Amino acid sequence: MQRHPSTLEPTRPRRRNRWVLVGGLLGGIALLTMLLAFGLSRDPTVIKSPLLGKPAPEFSLRTLDGSRTVQLSQFRGQVVVINFWASWCIDCRVEHPALTAAWDRYRDQGVVLLGIPFGDRAADSRTYLAELGGAWPQLVDPGERTAIAYGVYGVPETFVIGPDGLVAYKRVGGVVYGDLIDQIERLLPGQQA
Amino acid sequence: MRSGRRLPWSAAALAGVLLVAAGALAMVALRGPSTPGTMNDRVRAVASTLRCPVCQNLSVADSPSRLAQQMRTTIAEELRAGRTPEQIRSGFSASYGEWILLAPPKRGLDLIAWLAPLFLVAGALGAGIAAVRRWTAGHTVGPHRDTVDVASASSLTTADRRLLERALRAAAEESE
Repeated sequence: MQRHPSTLEPTRPRRRNRWVLVGGLLGGIALLTMLLAFGLSRDPTVIKSPLLGKPAPEFSLRTLDGSRTVQLSQFRGQVVVINFWASWCIDCRVEHPALTAAWDRYRDQGVVLLGIPFGDRAADSRTYLAELGGAWPQLVDPGERTAIAYGVYGVPETFVIGPDGLVAYKRVGGVVYGDLIDQIERLLPGQQA
Repeated sequence: MRSGRRLPWSAAALAGVLLVAAGALAMVALRGPSTPGTMNDRVRAVASTLRCPVCQNLSVADSPSRLAQQMRTTIAEELRAGRTPEQIRSGFSASYGEWILLAPPKRGLDLIAWLAPLFLVAGALGAGIAAVRRWTAGHTVGPHRDTVDVASASSLTTADRRLLERALRAAAEESE
């Protein structure tokens, strides 16, 4: 700022104030930049489910074939795998063999696998299952209430619930066989004891 | 304000207008939108504070997606069951995490998001006042001055002042 020479003298203390101001501003900008850099370096699509370690939301749903009602609490003491899927979802088709393999491997060890179609027409779900197979129970979720309670964003999403009824694992996107097996094995020994 | 320093009328008027505008804005901000009447309005009020899970940049109220539609149905059911908007919101954030809330909660680290604007406004006001003071300081009586504010030289008699004015006018004409 241009100043008249005559006003220079009484502004000495103001000079120091100005440096304090400039320093404060620069510090603030540096802080905000660091915050922005931190924010940008994180993947915003990775959101940890708040359900991990919490009791799995209870549900009571009809099976797709209408033969019976399945309640989550009836499986207390068992490892339960809940898979949200849809017939229109490509990743669901990709992960289907992994689910089938896990089901074949653990169905006799008391591990429960439940499928819940999400945003799907019942007829389309049935066609999909007829095509790809899968004998585990499929549950109809009216109004996507259960999916919302589980905080489902899209399909596929898979939850593994321990014998204690707590959510132990959540997978967003297609399951990987080895990964799913590890999660189930981790929870199984306590059940056998 | 120190005596001898006079705020120009225009500055006072501007300050007044700004104060009234700020007051009006603050009132609107504090009162928030009017309390919704119909069930649709009440659902909308809750849904507009929730982020749509599948189309992350829209609220549940604005999203046309099927899941958002289901969430609106859920909200309506819960409102009918007598749950408060706050309870419904915390239900959704128990499933989806605080991510689902469009406005961060007013506690913990999230409080920064609420307080930072207040500090910024206060800082800007302070800087504005300091700047105005500095600018107006140029018009007050100082030890080394080459201009004299005749009106504020109150210790002069009327005769002195007239003499001084005439002298100044003459000097101004001479320099032209």
